[in-house]
Amino acid sequence: MAIRSTPRTDILQGTLDMLILQTLRWGPAHGYSIAQAIRSASNDAFRVETGSLYPALHRLEQRQLVRAEWKHSDNNQRAKYYRLTAAGRRHLAREQSRWQQVVDAVHALMRPREQEG
Amino acid sequence: MRWPGWFGRRRDAEIDEELASHLRMAIADRLERGEEPDAARRRAFIECGNPVLAKEATRSVWTWTAVEQLATDLQIGARVLWRAPALSATAITLIALVIGGNTTIFSMVHAILAKPAPGVAADRLVTLGWVTDGEEHPGNSYPNYVDVAAASQTLNPMLAAGFKRLILTTTEGSYAIKGATVSTNYFETLGVALARGRTFTAQESRLDASGLVAVISDRLWRDRFGASPDIAGQTTILNRHVTTIVGVAPPEFRGVALNERSDVFLPLVASALIDGQQAMLTDRGAPFVIMIGRLAPGVALAAARAELATIAQRLPRVAGDTARSRTIQLFPYSGTAAGDSLVAQRGPWFLAMFSIITALTLFIVCANVANLMLARAVVRAREMAVRQSFGASRLRIVRIFVAEALAIGAAAWAAAALFAFWTTRALPRLMRPVDGDSAPVAFDFTPDWPVLGYAMLLALAGAAIVSAAPAIRACRQDLQPLLKTGEQGVIQGRSNVSNGLVVLQLAFSVLLLTTAGLAYRSLAVLSGSDLGFNRDRLLLVTINTKAAAATSAANVRLLERMVEGVRAVPGVSTVSYARRPIQNFWVPERLGGGAGERPIVAERNEVGSAYLRTMGVTLIAGHDFDARGDAAGAVIVNQRLANLLWPGEPAVGRTLRLGTSAQPLVVAGVAPNAFYSGYRREPDPNFVFVAASHALPAPDEATLYVRYSGSEEGIAPAVTRALRAIDDRAPIVYLRSIEEQLEGLTWPIHALAILLAAFAVASLAIATIGQYAAVAFTMRRRIRDFGVRMALGASSADILGSVVREGLRLTAAGLLIGGGLSIAAASGLRSMLFGVTPTDPRTYAVVFALLGAASLVACYLPARRSARIDPMQALRQE
Repeated sequence: MAIRSTPRTDILQGTLDMLILQTLRWGPAHGYSIAQAIRSASNDAFRVETGSLYPALHRLEQRQLVRAEWKHSDNNQRAKYYRLTAAGRRHLAREQSRWQQVVDAVHALMRPREQEG
Repeated sequence: MRWPGWFGRRRDAEIDEELASHLRMAIADRLERGEEPDAARRRAFIECGNPVLAKEATRSVWTWTAVEQLATDLQIGARVLWRAPALSATAITLIALVIGGNTTIFSMVHAILAKPAPGVAADRLVTLGWVTDGEEHPGNSYPNYVDVAAASQTLNPMLAAGFKRLILTTTEGSYAIKGATVSTNYFETLGVALARGRTFTAQESRLDASGLVAVISDRLWRDRFGASPDIAGQTTILNRHVTTIVGVAPPEFRGVALNERSDVFLPLVASALIDGQQAMLTDRGAPFVIMIGRLAPGVALAAARAELATIAQRLPRVAGDTARSRTIQLFPYSGTAAGDSLVAQRGPWFLAMFSIITALTLFIVCANVANLMLARAVVRAREMAVRQSFGASRLRIVRIFVAEALAIGAAAWAAAALFAFWTTRALPRLMRPVDGDSAPVAFDFTPDWPVLGYAMLLALAGAAIVSAAPAIRACRQDLQPLLKTGEQGVIQGRSNVSNGLVVLQLAFSVLLLTTAGLAYRSLAVLSGSDLGFNRDRLLLVTINTKAAAATSAANVRLLERMVEGVRAVPGVSTVSYARRPIQNFWVPERLGGGAGERPIVAERNEVGSAYLRTMGVTLIAGHDFDARGDAAGAVIVNQRLANLLWPGEPAVGRTLRLGTSAQPLVVAGVAPNAFYSGYRREPDPNFVFVAASHALPAPDEATLYVRYSGSEEGIAPAVTRALRAIDDRAPIVYLRSIEEQLEGLTWPIHALAILLAAFAVASLAIATIGQYAAVAFTMRRRIRDFGVRMALGASSADILGSVVREGLRLTAAGLLIGGGLSIAAASGLRSMLFGVTPTDPRTYAVVFALLGAASLVACYLPARRSARIDPMQALRQE
């Protein structure tokens, strides 16, 4: 498709989906709070722009990994809340173990080798 | 599947709201942290990123299904087209014309090659073709039919059918009709349910005391039996045999083959026995039936092919059969390929040829439309550049063009389908009845779903071609210069290609126009030409004497009696007869006894007494034949033949030999030169008329020539009554005026002329519009150039002249190439031309003038616009 669907942040496409799902494990949240959570949890390392966040959220909704509903927030503003579905939970578990494998593999590759002789 | 529109709009609103709430929360957050309202707003905005892009990207998550995309794109395309209605209408008309024309031809070809004869349920029907040593034979023998039908598991049921000319005698008289002799399972195999009565029983294929039975056509039932409701069980006489009618076929059904339509169906075996043709039933070498079978349920064509190939191997051979290989091929049944697998086999080849021609025309037309689009693409180049700079990807730009082209294609397809429906209804009216039949062959040309699908494919292909060129250009286009200055000089031209296409299309138009022109000139020559004999009030009555005369001598006596009888009818002035009516050619005969070394060929006809007088010509020398016999001589030659045989000498009393006959014939007279056999391509045909009293033609069809005064309506019934009174066993096969007969010879060229004219007009339109587009395109590219020239003092007339001159160079090239093509093509068409040469200067002059004028207009219109430009504005516009 046309318009820049790759995130401008350095987060890999699939990784953003995983981070969103991870954030939603603590309960339903709207887009803004998800972005804030990712930002603070990563110590400001990942800033998620709306141009990446909302396409990702809607993709997840389309794949029925999250469910969305309009609710009023604490300060009485209408916002769209996303909630993990059972399928989303399973997907997150799979993604986590896959991610762990990637991290382990990269870690093993990057570990300085002991010198020979 | 989600559709845009209502759902889409609601989704849009939701995304807007979601993004807005995001921004509100971001701002609120910052305000809470104590930031200044203005700064908070600005920073939140930056933090969130481009809202338009975010919305687009989010929405695309939902709209990214192919059908939705297509629908959206078509909407965009339609909107773009709506903004330039003239251009769009032109593009649509062009493509619709070419698709419509092609669809028309395709439905005709499809109707002729693939559709069943009316009334036949063609599903899973196959025709058997017999191949011996690689040679095709449509029919085979009855014993082979019996064996194959008994052995085959895959084709069940299977029918056999032969054709027979019959004479039907009712209380009102005798009539010549066409019949089919069929296996008893004929109607069941074809899936034809009789309108009345029953079909044949197995016993009726044997001939017993109950005699012959027959099923008759609806037409015969109405014409000859007054649509009698209790027809089943009535008896009538067919070829002198008492026959019981057991059933009536449904109205549309006239047999399996379009070219041999039957009015009566007889059991094959019984019919052969009663006519003394027992040999046909037992002789394995006598091919006289065609075979059609229906694939048994669940059987594939390939399986049936394999089985029949084996069966063919096992068939007993005739003594003395030396064929090395013998097999049976299966073809899907159609009304024209009923018994003729040759047609079935060549059909695909013909379709392939046709597809190539179609592809070529479609390519040219679409290239023209692409030219039009290019001309506009130049104008829109900047729009596209702006779109790209706003983040539209190249793919997106390409899709805009594709969408436009698809919208054009869809509209053109709809228009083309309408066009094809109309033309295919109109076309059969050009058909003329075949001799002896009251109705023309009723081809069903109306497009059906395969044909409409074909048209749709064409439309898609057209859309692809149309969108390719502008899209590629848009992709290659470098944005920067366009954005910076709107510089139009940077647009890369494709004018060589488009100019070439214009020349090609013009050449095609010349070809079509000249061919149509020559055809029309031929028609004019034909309708006004002097055939050399008197065409006024001459009636032709063809009769069949097979049932009425036993011997050749009796035949001639009967014919002379008929002449006497008709002559007694009030209003008839002279009557004679000939073995053959006026038609394209009579039997060419080589003449012996001439002086020259080269064989002399003449057209021959056997004629009765006073034939030439009846034709309204006066003999130059000698006498017409008289009723008593050939006292004065046995042949009459025309003047040209006399001069060839005996130059400068009197011909009467000399002798000549016809063909291989050793008997010399005495010349009784010399007739003036005329086109006795109808229109001829050769300007100087030779004729030899042999006295029927001498040649004694066998009982068969003969044609009475009746010269009368008064009206045809008055004379025809009287002649019919007189002939019945003489011998009602000799039925009239057909009766028509000489004008009708001559028209029967010219209708193919008439139809050709109309078709060609239609195509020529379409082609002319295509060429003119194509040229207009090419000139308009060039003009757009050079608008700045013109501005400079005018600023430097060139007048508008100068600009106008230069643009028109450039355009007309293309015209000249097109006319030249087209002229050459036409001469070549017309030489090939020589056989269809009458009285004009393939290089008829008048036709060419008119065509060149017409095309030149159209071309001039096509160049002048855009040129005038470029000449009118304000030089300052043209320069500033850059």
